[in-house]
Amino acid sequence: MNYIELGGGITSVTLCCPARYATINPTIAPEKLGTALDFLRKIFRNWRSLAFTRSWAALILALLATVSAAQGPENERPIPILTGSAGFFTNVNGGQAQLVPEMNPVILLPLGDRWLIESRGEFKGEFERPEGGGPYGGKVEKELDYLQVDFIANPLVTVTAGRFLAPFGIYNERLYPIWIRSLQQVPLIFPIGTGSSDGVMLRGGFPVRPKVNLNYAAYFSTLSTVNKFESDRTAGGRFGFFLPGPRIEAGVSWQKLLQEDRTNAFGFHLAWQPALLPLNLRSEYARSNLGSGYWIECAYRLSQLPFWSKAMRRTEVVARAQQLFAEHISENEAEVYGLPDVNTRQGDFGLNYFLRDGLKATASYGRRFSSDGNSNIWTVGIAYRFVFPLGRLGAK
Amino acid sequence: MKMKLVILALVLVLLSAIHGIAEPHKKDGPSKDGPSKDGASVAAVHNSGYGDAIRIEGEQRFRANCGRCHTAPQKFPPRMMATVVRHMRVRATITDQDMQSILRYLTQ
Repeated sequence: MNYIELGGGITSVTLCCPARYATINPTIAPEKLGTALDFLRKIFRNWRSLAFTRSWAALILALLATVSAAQGPENERPIPILTGSAGFFTNVNGGQAQLVPEMNPVILLPLGDRWLIESRGEFKGEFERPEGGGPYGGKVEKELDYLQVDFIANPLVTVTAGRFLAPFGIYNERLYPIWIRSLQQVPLIFPIGTGSSDGVMLRGGFPVRPKVNLNYAAYFSTLSTVNKFESDRTAGGRFGFFLPGPRIEAGVSWQKLLQEDRTNAFGFHLAWQPALLPLNLRSEYARSNLGSGYWIECAYRLSQLPFWSKAMRRTEVVARAQQLFAEHISENEAEVYGLPDVNTRQGDFGLNYFLRDGLKATASYGRRFSSDGNSNIWTVGIAYRFVFPLGRLGAK
Repeated sequence: MKMKLVILALVLVLLSAIHGIAEPHKKDGPSKDGPSKDGASVAAVHNSGYGDAIRIEGEQRFRANCGRCHTAPQKFPPRMMATVVRHMRVRATITDQDMQSILRYLTQ
């Protein structure tokens, strides 16, 4: 490996590339940008090589990381991070066992004081035994949840462009990661108004009084049929408030489909974390042409129990009640959207044990009632959140 | 084959988690032991009323905002925490004041 350093007025760039390319001009003058550009032009001639493509990607990452690191004092410069979650779950739904390994890597790439590039992928396996027996098998879903550029324009507005999570309710944007969600089964109404969108979004949060914060998000999404970047042409937004004192949060969401049948979806969310109790209450309501429904979830950390305090403060019990009122959608539509096609009620009870920060064991039992038949849903698994720096941590 | 790759990746991640468990508890989050007490500058902050006020305010904002979705994370180095807080500012529409206060608290 050869290392070539390019001088710059603002920052410096360190390029690491395979020797076969470095031999084009291995004696680059470190301080001369013009020579460096000539070198880059020569490298461009060999762009067909896959190895070069990888080197170019590494160069871009190194450049972005270095630009990012060039801002602010040493100890406050944000650095790129690889984070995300991984988990392995066993679901038994109506007697059918399913193994679900899942990984959701997130890359955070800060640029300067106001920019952030962030992306999350999803790799999820769903392995079942075939009818009649045999080894577990199935497909691995690969999705790009978001790949967005955020520009913090001022304390009131952040501009987001790219592929982002639709700001509908609170579950899609904030509670979806497996290390965060209290129950691994997503709510029945989760598919309504959520998913990913390709477009532009304005969002922000600001105090209107010392004890009242407002937050909003408004977006426009374009139609895309590009693989992994599928999106509908929609417009929508969310408006809410948060009271930091009593820790109450509420808001409304709206989404308008600007294609096909131009339907609307509405949502409402409410959450409360009382300061005196290790309790977390959350709820959402959503309505669209596909159906309507709600979920209410209560998670209680047992840290106030007077016995086995070390274990109890790591233990959380969860309960969720939910109901979905299905509209007249076909079985195919229901499968596409991931919604039940008949009225459904479900109750879930769960137990989470936090082994350490970001690592928890989880188990839950749910009972589903519908005209298609009642069923039990068991889930056991483990979820982990990982965080790795992609740059120098600097002085401690 | 896909299943083997996924399981291999999960094993690697879980090994890193187990490695984290084996580490000393000095990295435990603010919810248990409060801010890190390493370093003279931190001690100076603790010894001053002004520093305490900032810390308490930061902790309150931290619990009010971050606790809406998840439990208190461990402390990361300041440069990592700056990235995480910026990400969360966008993701959770945290106000500018809250972000600054939480970042100060988490990097004390």
